[in-house]
Amino acid sequence: MLNKYLAFPLAFCALVSSALAANHVVEQKGKAFSVKSLNVKVGDSVEFVNADPFNHNVFSLSDIKTFDLGSYPQGQSKKVVFDKAGQAEVECAIHPDMILKVEVSE
Amino acid sequence: MKRHGVRAAAVSLMLLGAATASPMAAAVDLPSDVDFPHRDSPEARVYRGSIVFSNYCVLCHGQNADGKGRAAKLYTPPPANLRKSDKTDEYKELIIRRGGAPMARSEFMPPWGAELTEEQISDVVSFLRSIAPEDAPR
Ligand code: HEC
Ligand SMILES: [Cu+2]
Repeated sequence: MLNKYLAFPLAFCALVSSALAANHVVEQKGKAFSVKSLNVKVGDSVEFVNADPFNHNVFSLSDIKTFDLGSYPQGQSKKVVFDKAGQAEVECAIHPDMILKVEVSE
Repeated sequence: MKRHGVRAAAVSLMLLGAATASPMAAAVDLPSDVDFPHRDSPEARVYRGSIVFSNYCVLCHGQNADGKGRAAKLYTPPPANLRKSDKTDEYKELIIRRGGAPMARSEFMPPWGAELTEEQISDVVSFLRSIAPEDAPR
């Protein structure tokens, strides 16, 4: 019964929160991430763009987010959404020296 | 004892390759009665291959090459246990160069062709041969 009255506000909220969630672009260039650390909000996405003429990979074994976006060539990008607050370390399986710290806050 | 130290130092200098040939080598007073493994000897290749392995492969395949690296839990199928591999050197070289996807294996086995030199690839294949089962096909 309430559905009729809830549907609109709920849809509105969903729209607003997805509009508020930001996308942060990080490049993989010269076997490094373009920044060493990044502050994001819960719900934000980080997009990794490979700007090197060879493959990069992106993965994390952090408590707040465990993922592997695979290996991909120059020009391609992959995205991950950070849905929990805390700290994540993002790495590359091909280049052991590549590390990015992501601080996710509420 | 002392002699052993000098030998080990000289050997590792040698194994670490021509690229890093250092003037220090000349300063080491080499004992004349020891045989150094030649740069192209199987021992030298396996040793260099083990270094490549611990730099790039342990993350997934593990320090012990048994497939239990720290990132192993991310992958299904899991990283191969390279001590039990029944693949030939040729197959290993291909999957290392091209990655898992073009070989109809896991896309999470990365392609290393652009990252490693020809020598590093053949060295790591020699290392994998040295830890493969005796009866595995060559
Ligand atoms: C990001 C994780 C990861 C890294 C890093 C990695 N591998 Fe793999 N590798 C895998 C996975 C997963 C498989 C299993 C593929 C399958 O079964 O489909 C595999 C399979 C293999 C195989 C096939 C073995 C067989 O018996 O079929 C070889 C050989 C191999 N890897 C060598 C290496 C070498 C050498 C390195 C380092 C230069 C390396 N791998 C680095 C994930 C990885
Ligand atoms: Cu990389």
